Amino acid sequence: MNRVVIIGSGNIGTDLGERLLQSPDFQLVALIGRRTDSPGIKRFVNRVEWLGEQGLQNELGRLDDVDGFFDASSAKDHVNHWEVLKLMNKWVIDLTPSRVGKPIVPTLVGKLNSMNLSESDHANYSMVTCGGQSSGPIIYSLIQCFSEVTAVEVSSSIASKSAGPATRKNIDEYVSSTEALIKEVSGCNQAKAILVLNPSIPPVHMRTTVTIQGNGIDLENAKLKVREEELLMKSYIPGFDIITEPFLLNESTLTMTVSVKGSGYFLPPFAGNLDIINSAAVETARLHVANLMNVAQRG
Amino acid sequence: MLLNVDKDLKLYDVTLRDGNHAVRHQLSADFVRKYCIAADKSGAWAIEVGHGNGLGASSYLVGQALESDYKLLATARENLKQTKLAIHAIPGFATITKDLAPAIDLGVDIFRIATHATEADTSQSHIEYLKSRDKTVHGVLMMNHVLGVSELALQVKTMISFGAEAVILMDSAGHLLPSDCKERVGALVEEFGIEIGMHAHNNLGVAASNATAAFEAGARIIDGASMGLGAGAGNAQLEIIVALFERVGFTDKSALKFLPASQIVNTSYQDNLPRVTSSSIMSGMYGVFSGYAPFVEALANKYQIELGHLWAALSEANLVAGQESILIEIAQSLAVKESSKHSFGNDINE
Repeated sequence: MNRVVIIGSGNIGTDLGERLLQSPDFQLVALIGRRTDSPGIKRFVNRVEWLGEQGLQNELGRLDDVDGFFDASSAKDHVNHWEVLKLMNKWVIDLTPSRVGKPIVPTLVGKLNSMNLSESDHANYSMVTCGGQSSGPIIYSLIQCFSEVTAVEVSSSIASKSAGPATRKNIDEYVSSTEALIKEVSGCNQAKAILVLNPSIPPVHMRTTVTIQGNGIDLENAKLKVREEELLMKSYIPGFDIITEPFLLNESTLTMTVSVKGSGYFLPPFAGNLDIINSAAVETARLHVANLMNVAQRG
Repeated sequence: MLLNVDKDLKLYDVTLRDGNHAVRHQLSADFVRKYCIAADKSGAWAIEVGHGNGLGASSYLVGQALESDYKLLATARENLKQTKLAIHAIPGFATITKDLAPAIDLGVDIFRIATHATEADTSQSHIEYLKSRDKTVHGVLMMNHVLGVSELALQVKTMISFGAEAVILMDSAGHLLPSDCKERVGALVEEFGIEIGMHAHNNLGVAASNATAAFEAGARIIDGASMGLGAGAGNAQLEIIVALFERVGFTDKSALKFLPASQIVNTSYQDNLPRVTSSSIMSGMYGVFSGYAPFVEALANKYQIELGHLWAALSEANLVAGQESILIEIAQSLAVKESSKHSFGNDINE
């Protein structure tokens, strides 16, 4: 089984830890935080082989038998972590908004050339944004049902309580990363991303609305295609549901909405926006490892 | 002799931004030109221009603008000699690179960075960027009625800590009463000693009274729109505010000078002038964002749902501005519920 380490012991790292402990594909070896009093670190005492409390730099001697890493620290820290890890020839799943790694949406691997996985251990995959993870697969399915796409828009609303300080401090980063992914998946340069935070109590589940403008729309096919995609998504994020089926706003514009409910490993179910990143991270790691096996078998 | 004339009063004209809601974001560059030529002489401190939800908000979600924000701003800039040019921008819609930097290049004078009342901390990067470019930045708390005075003060404090020089309270649902405005503004002016602004909507018919109460409590930036052109039941009507202030002696500005711009709106948008309709009253009573009114009416009609039931459902969902797509979901589920009621012969029109 592949031995993995989580860097970052905040809410995301903690949820990821609970998730990986239940994963049949990975063995969670360690969590590395930066504070001795981190609740995330305390939670995993006696549940993993070792715990790091002073950052990655201080644990380099213990990493030889580790295959891969999940970095749930911060965009700034990830840049430094990658400097170290790339020299060690380890694969890394980047859950931060650093944009260092290659953007991956698991269900699009094998469909988009830009999302081909690495054929060596050396790999850094970026999980983009919650808006990107929830809309990318839908956009991909929908554009098959257009003869020409002229504009794509993704608007997401998330519970305020699930928006961490990094997102709040720099919403523009979210917008530009999401727009870059929309452009990549759709091949259309007219792309817009919107993020709305909703402070409602009880908190709301994440919603993502995808709207595409273009020509030659096959609405019935679109309805079928997105249901197929919904099933694929549900295989690794069960709370992914189409809640408004594709319909036409006008003859050249189609829209639909999905809801993302989290699985509640550690994060609350309303934090679907965070859950979809963690779900995508584990699924991307699984695909990467499987790909390496295939490459090895092909010799 | 005028006794209480306040030279610090800043009348802030939102006709060319909030008014865009009333015309489904179809304000033309030509209208902006005509309006600015007339309003430049009115005595307003600043004129705000752009999409109804501010810069960068033209979208399928909220509504696509006829003209780009850039074009409207460039047109306004050419025609404003005395009055400052202002913008409204909501982080999540507007970004620094795509919207704020170009707005600086176009010569915008006043920048308002707006968030939902509880989300002031999402304005940090935008406010700090504008400060670093040496611009005048004001914070805006939309839907401020959702918070009590002390919680509101915390959000104001957050915006001030980022560098906002003034904070404007938007009554985006037209829910507040004059006494509420007085209490809120009074407390904030006393606690922070900065300029506080009031942006009133007329859902309950008290927008001008709210503006007046806010001024009496110390607000020095007062928003209004010619003919009230704005979201929902419209904004506080600018020329009425000036007339009231003039009569009481709060200002030595003349309401007459605001009338040419008002007449341009009146003749250009006869069919779009805001009125206090059943929808606006419900939006005001329930505290739901005024800008949703045209969507709510269209959906109630499309799905054959009682208008009041839809507004009530939106209120329960605690929506913030910018969640138009969720209105569809709510309307659809309500339609399912109501059609099953119909089958039992229930009269929902009571």
